Amino acid sequence: MKKGRFLVIVCGLLSLLSFKRAVAGGVKTRAEGDVSTEVKIHDSDGIFSGTASFTFSVKNTMDNDQAGSVSYQLTTEKGEKVASKKISVKIGKNSSESYDFSIPNLQTGFYKINFMINVSDYDDTTRRAFGIRPKEIQSAYARPADFDEFWQKTKDELAKVKPDFKITPLPKMNTENRDVYEIQMRSFDNYLIKGYMTVPKTKNKNRKFSVLLGLPGYQVDLAPIVGLDQDLAIITINTRGQGTSRGEIDVRRDEFLTYRIENKEKYVMRGVIMDCVRCVDFIYSQPNLRHDNILATGGSMGGYLAIALAGVDSRVNLSSAQNPILCDIRGMVGEVDWPISSFKKYAATQPGLTMGKVLSNLDYFDGRNFAVNVKCPFIMGIGLLDPFAPPNNEFATYNLIPGRKRIMIFKDLSHEISSKYKDLEGRWMRDAFALF
Amino acid sequence: MTKKFTQIRLKPLLVAFLLLGVLRSNSYAGGFPVRPHSLLLSPSVSYFYANKAWDSGGNLHPFDNNGHFSSWTYQLYTEYGLTRRFTLVAQLPYVTNTFEQSNFKNTASGLTDLETGIRWYVANIDYRFYFMVQGTVITPLYVNNPSLGYGLTGGELKLMFSGSMKMFGTNAYFSLENGFRQYISSTGPFQDRYNGTFGLNLDKQFKNQISVSVGGFYSNSSNKQFLPAQYYANKNFSFNQVSLSYGHSFSREFSIFITGGKFITGRNTGDGTSGSVSLVLRPF
Repeated sequence: MKKGRFLVIVCGLLSLLSFKRAVAGGVKTRAEGDVSTEVKIHDSDGIFSGTASFTFSVKNTMDNDQAGSVSYQLTTEKGEKVASKKISVKIGKNSSESYDFSIPNLQTGFYKINFMINVSDYDDTTRRAFGIRPKEIQSAYARPADFDEFWQKTKDELAKVKPDFKITPLPKMNTENRDVYEIQMRSFDNYLIKGYMTVPKTKNKNRKFSVLLGLPGYQVDLAPIVGLDQDLAIITINTRGQGTSRGEIDVRRDEFLTYRIENKEKYVMRGVIMDCVRCVDFIYSQPNLRHDNILATGGSMGGYLAIALAGVDSRVNLSSAQNPILCDIRGMVGEVDWPISSFKKYAATQPGLTMGKVLSNLDYFDGRNFAVNVKCPFIMGIGLLDPFAPPNNEFATYNLIPGRKRIMIFKDLSHEISSKYKDLEGRWMRDAFALF
Repeated sequence: MTKKFTQIRLKPLLVAFLLLGVLRSNSYAGGFPVRPHSLLLSPSVSYFYANKAWDSGGNLHPFDNNGHFSSWTYQLYTEYGLTRRFTLVAQLPYVTNTFEQSNFKNTASGLTDLETGIRWYVANIDYRFYFMVQGTVITPLYVNNPSLGYGLTGGELKLMFSGSMKMFGTNAYFSLENGFRQYISSTGPFQDRYNGTFGLNLDKQFKNQISVSVGGFYSNSSNKQFLPAQYYANKNFSFNQVSLSYGHSFSREFSIFITGGKFITGRNTGDGTSGSVSLVLRPF
């Protein structure tokens, strides 16, 4: 179906990486049968108020009994051991067994739990995560006192750059119901930024369209987004160093994140965030676009940018962040590999640069620190098994957002969200923009 | 007079709240919110026929002297989105009523009761299910003609709940509404009017849909008489009916609905059968 295909394209474009679904359970097959396991978390979102509970089910369709153990190991998101338990089991041939586990008195936060089965003909581990009272999660780190001043100064500098907006029709890319344009503009440091705008065809020359502003994932080359929608202009922007806006920041994939991090005034993300602001300037310059109906949305780095943009530019009316990276960055040290590994590697290779200095500069780019300024309605989607945007850090950011907000948790997903989030986002946006 | 048997009203196509970038809105009207500054016009023609009636005990009898009642209604229904929360609603019917027996025939034609109201979008659940409240003023456009209706001013407060969902592998919607209507006179009547609709979209392009409705009136008054010749002036009656509707959308701006209905129970009223054709136009 056309819509379904389009969704796949959109999700792909707005996300950072190719993702893989977390292990849902194990199965081992033999000619004479198999052993399969399933972990059931006793909450649809994997969130508990105090005692976490699970059921570990084993199905043995083999012609022999399976004897051994079922166990779990519980750790914090940083891998510190919290609890473990091991029980002896015997699963008769062609039968099933279920084992209930309850883990009481857990502190606020997210935990990783591995369920293991070690029986006669089968060994397997199933990874899961869950949270305890996540809305109480707070970051342990402070926001720079001059954070707002830094960004006001940055916006002031951007305002001095003449935008030179340019719109070029791309008639060969037009669809039955949409006109496609390439857009370009001058942004922070006079950097040339390019993107696309697709607008529904209409006979009403006075019609103004609400705007969906799609923000890019890490090193993603965003393309024009078309589709059957009749009500939205869709703008996709390639921020500097990415896709059609690569320009002088033509670095290897891994190096983009650390580009000039040694100086917060020169760090690439300063310009990237201003590119998004400049795109809002572009929207405001267009008479056929609604200036009061702007949704900023993106996944991974795009999710981060959705928070940052809404945090520095109150002209954004709705913000939707899926698996935003770079949230509560200091809290990610010791918790995740990427992106901390990239920062450590960069710090180690630059004379005189320390990880402390890198983290100090990153404080000005931490999604968490933008969150307090996000006054527009906001939604976020997270995966509890996300290795790049862990739930502790996502909640430390989400909890700071002062306005109307909602979070959708996918307990079995990693760096991804499901179509349920996009369904919600669409309904939410249509309701807010009165596109009934 | 507003005793509507045909329940000619706009059936909402599913609000197609779909996914990012492929969002479409195909809501046509009914219990769903209306886009600000958009206009919906729905002219319709309907026919109602009854040659039997339920008495006060709910027993069905033929009209005396081979009597039968028929009614043609030409109606314009309109909705205009004032703001995100408020919608202006109006309905203007022109009716030709005929009651005929072996040696008697009475025909009356004219504009009947103008209904104008405001609908308030109160709240939603998950942006999928909507709660609405509508206040309506009933203004008779005729004087002292019981063949057309009560000739009384009235008011109605209607509660609505509607929503859409996936069902049977397709998009489905429902709408539930209950209106409490009071006509201003010593004998009222006070009416409880309810309707429940369930519809299915038959294709993913939202071009075709079917729906089934159950609705009815419960009208109470100290005036208990039932006069078939003044069908719309009876005040103490009740009925329940079912109706089936098919809708086809030629475009977002133009759709057509065909509806058939049949009374299933009644008291002090005719055993009605109805059919209607309505258009839905969205000029902007």
